[in-house]
Amino acid sequence: MAERTQLLEQIQQIGFQIDDLTLYLDTHPLDREALDSFTQAKNQRYQLMQDYAREFEPLNLYLVCPDTNNETGSYCKYPGQKHFTWSDGPLPWDNQGGV
Amino acid sequence: MWTYEKRLQFPVNIKKTCPKTASLIISQFGGPDGELAASMRYLSQRYTMPCKEVAGLLTDIGTEELGHLEIVCAMIFQLTKNMKPEDAKTAGFDAYYIDHTSALWPNAAAGVPFNACEFQSKGDAVTDLFEDLAAEQKARTTYENLIRIIDDPDVLAPLKFLREREVVHFQRFGEALEKTKLKLDEKNFYYFNPEFDKQFAKA
Ligand SMILES: [Fe+2]
Repeated sequence: MAERTQLLEQIQQIGFQIDDLTLYLDTHPLDREALDSFTQAKNQRYQLMQDYAREFEPLNLYLVCPDTNNETGSYCKYPGQKHFTWSDGPLPWDNQGGV
Repeated sequence: MWTYEKRLQFPVNIKKTCPKTASLIISQFGGPDGELAASMRYLSQRYTMPCKEVAGLLTDIGTEELGHLEIVCAMIFQLTKNMKPEDAKTAGFDAYYIDHTSALWPNAAAGVPFNACEFQSKGDAVTDLFEDLAAEQKARTTYENLIRIIDDPDVLAPLKFLREREVVHFQRFGEALEKTKLKLDEKNFYYFNPEFDKQFAKA
């Protein structure tokens, strides 16, 4: 549980950096420093999303991989069975999913 | 096209049931300066914007506002999901409960249903960007009004985050207005409608 929360928090933080940098770059498309930060954050996010999908549920549809998702089998209705892993995990608006 | 990400932009973890707080926060879902209006305002205005970067900014801010709508709804949900009949009788929430139980339905704190008139889309780039700047300030004021009278730290944290985003959006819309003006006849920025009288816009 602690690891799920920790990883999700990291995704949230890096995701927010990207959200904020996106709006800045929309109006400052030539800012080198911001471009470098964007690239760095984007790569970091990609890795974290992959890690999270392997251990827990995929956070977007394109990370759904029934053979490799959710190694820990958490929040899973069909443990041990090949299934559509998009339905694994808590709902974002539930207390445990909102982290 | 949009892709859903199964997480909130900012964490919401409210432990204490409080329908009264929900009945106030709901204004930022379906009220005059709420996130639903904000999102629809920007996503509607972007098609006719003469400046491509500004259309892109409206898309990105409109998308972020959808994420804010989700945060506000998650707060209302967590504040009311464990309601007892006694809680449902709370003044200010009781009437809402009769019609919607604990489901999410967009209305203002005073009970006025969401109205599409809240999101202005006039078809004049300068007019619409001024509208957007004002909208961000109005949303900031509403969040400040909420923050002033709410004590629960679990509720305050997401409200403060959302307030800060309004400040950032205001800044970006200000920059968008400057960019738009660069494309117009500097002798009189406000005389023509750059979305219709295209001959007065620079290539
Ligand atoms: Fe905003």
